[in-house]
Amino acid sequence: MTTRAPEPGDDRLSQLVELVVELASGDRGARMQPSPASDEIDAVIVGINMMAEELQALDADLEARVTERTLQLEQAQLQLERLALYDPLTGLANRTLLADRIGQAMARADRGAAPPAVLLLDLDGFKAVNDSFGHAVGDLLLMEVASRLRAVVRESDTVARLGGDEFALVVIDATNDQVLEMAERIRTALQAPAQLGDQVCWVSASIGVCFAVRGQQADALLRDADTAMYEAKGTTRGAVQIYETRMHTAALSRVRLADQLRGAIAGGQLRVHYQSIVDLQDGRTSGVEVLVRWQHPTRGLLLPAEFIGVAEDTGMIAALDRWVLDTALAQLAGWRATVLGNSAFTMHLNISPIELRSPRFADEVLGSLAHHGISPADLVLEVTETQMTGDDAQTLQALETLRRAGIAVAIDDFGTGYSSIGYVRQKFLDLVKIDRALVTGLDTDPQQHRVAAAILAIVDAFGLDAVAEGVETAAQAEELRGLGCRFGQGIYWCAPMSAAPMTMHLTAAAHATKRAAS
Amino acid sequence: MSDAVSGMAEPDQLLDVAVDDLGIVRLTWVRGLRITEELANHAMTLVDRVNGSHERPLLVDMTGTAALTRPARVTFTRRCSASRIALLGQSPVDRVIANFALGVSSVPVPTRFFTSEPSAVAWLRHDDTGA
Repeated sequence: MTTRAPEPGDDRLSQLVELVVELASGDRGARMQPSPASDEIDAVIVGINMMAEELQALDADLEARVTERTLQLEQAQLQLERLALYDPLTGLANRTLLADRIGQAMARADRGAAPPAVLLLDLDGFKAVNDSFGHAVGDLLLMEVASRLRAVVRESDTVARLGGDEFALVVIDATNDQVLEMAERIRTALQAPAQLGDQVCWVSASIGVCFAVRGQQADALLRDADTAMYEAKGTTRGAVQIYETRMHTAALSRVRLADQLRGAIAGGQLRVHYQSIVDLQDGRTSGVEVLVRWQHPTRGLLLPAEFIGVAEDTGMIAALDRWVLDTALAQLAGWRATVLGNSAFTMHLNISPIELRSPRFADEVLGSLAHHGISPADLVLEVTETQMTGDDAQTLQALETLRRAGIAVAIDDFGTGYSSIGYVRQKFLDLVKIDRALVTGLDTDPQQHRVAAAILAIVDAFGLDAVAEGVETAAQAEELRGLGCRFGQGIYWCAPMSAAPMTMHLTAAAHATKRAAS
Repeated sequence: MSDAVSGMAEPDQLLDVAVDDLGIVRLTWVRGLRITEELANHAMTLVDRVNGSHERPLLVDMTGTAALTRPARVTFTRRCSASRIALLGQSPVDRVIANFALGVSSVPVPTRFFTSEPSAVAWLRHDDTGA
């Protein structure tokens, strides 16, 4: 602090001027000693001193506040960046940051570095975990997966969560073999069970790998990796699939098919065929299975295997199944009114497990039955064993509602899945359809015979009836009858056919029954 | 510089606090003093001690005060047991200092500057007669 002592002769005013000049120049610490006179000039001196002191204090205050605010702003900025670029649940990069990293890697590739590899993976069975144990556990699983992925990659690589149960990786400066090795390590790392709170869960991942080509855009890379992953999902659980150009063609044709299917459902290109089911004990036609076909304008008659998958992926399965249900029930009403009368007869309908997870499904089925005047006891719903992961509450509730109304449930293609016994033990089944693979060679191959016998014994032990599919010869039919199989279905009796020939078939069968009875 | 002005002497030697016959608390500062935050605190403590649970008018004789620091001024804005405060001074310097104390920082009870002691006392007692 600069202090000026009063000098002999009263030049206080000029000193005051000096003080003000100093203060004005920015020296907030400048002060002047008043004289003992304590007169007006001293009052001005004291006043200026005190105002300068005030200014100094306010200045310091302001500086401190600016510093604090700047710090807060910087922290807020960091937080915003975090939010904008990182997934809040797992702390992994998000889609935005991933695209940025891919872009950077491609730029480096343009300058001569090796192009990056993009891996896309999603978890098989994640939905089941969420449905069975709740979202809290599902979140824990995602965090566990994230930390396992982080442990596998190197510092220079990026791990991202794209949302849901989808993750992506960008790997730079690695050979193709090294990338595949990493994919394999990821697959292995994810196979180990995860301890999530009180639960132990298993998941596996389908991994799509795409090796970038110089000049490719980030979204094209992700799309190709996604296409490869889609292929991986189609195989066994936990597969790694490298993208190939043919996959792109396949993906495109799937999209095209989906478009055409939309038109087909509305435009009357779908057909319903029927195949009879025979009671092996008395040879009577006890029912029919309803089989959907698509009369494609250029590709001819398509079987379900060629388009049901696309329907399920695109959500059209609901409209498709509804059309089939409506058409088949109308047909059954027609048969009941003419050739069938009140005789025991059931109609078997295939439904997608996706439908069972839809809350309105049960009501729609019951509504359709009522609309056509068909008794629920006439309907059997068939669900494919390999597709049923259904431990989820929604599926079980739908099945319960349907069965309580009197509708029977059959498990289809039995014997081709991995957890057969489990489903047979479930209380929601009435009927088991033995897959044709178990019927083939049953009359010629002793091994097949033993297997078929064992399966039928299991079904019987659970108090269920069996329908053997794919019966082609009288010998097979006879063997099955001998093993206690109740029903059979196959070209031995009749091939799938449209309504008109089936009507004739049923009429002939009805006459044959009448003749046998008389 | 004398000890008094620098304020390095014992605080008790730099001010006096007493209650007069009229029930007015009189705080008298040593002349030429630079009143610091520490001294301000000490003064308020003494006044509160003298008042106990009562509130009494306060007459502060600040004639000849050399300086009143900003922290000291902030301290005086605290509520204490004074019901009214009269600041007594003489010179223009006293007036400037007193007005800084009054105006720049808000004070919790009615406070005024006087150059005449009888006027100050009358104003302080005005409160006693319930006006």
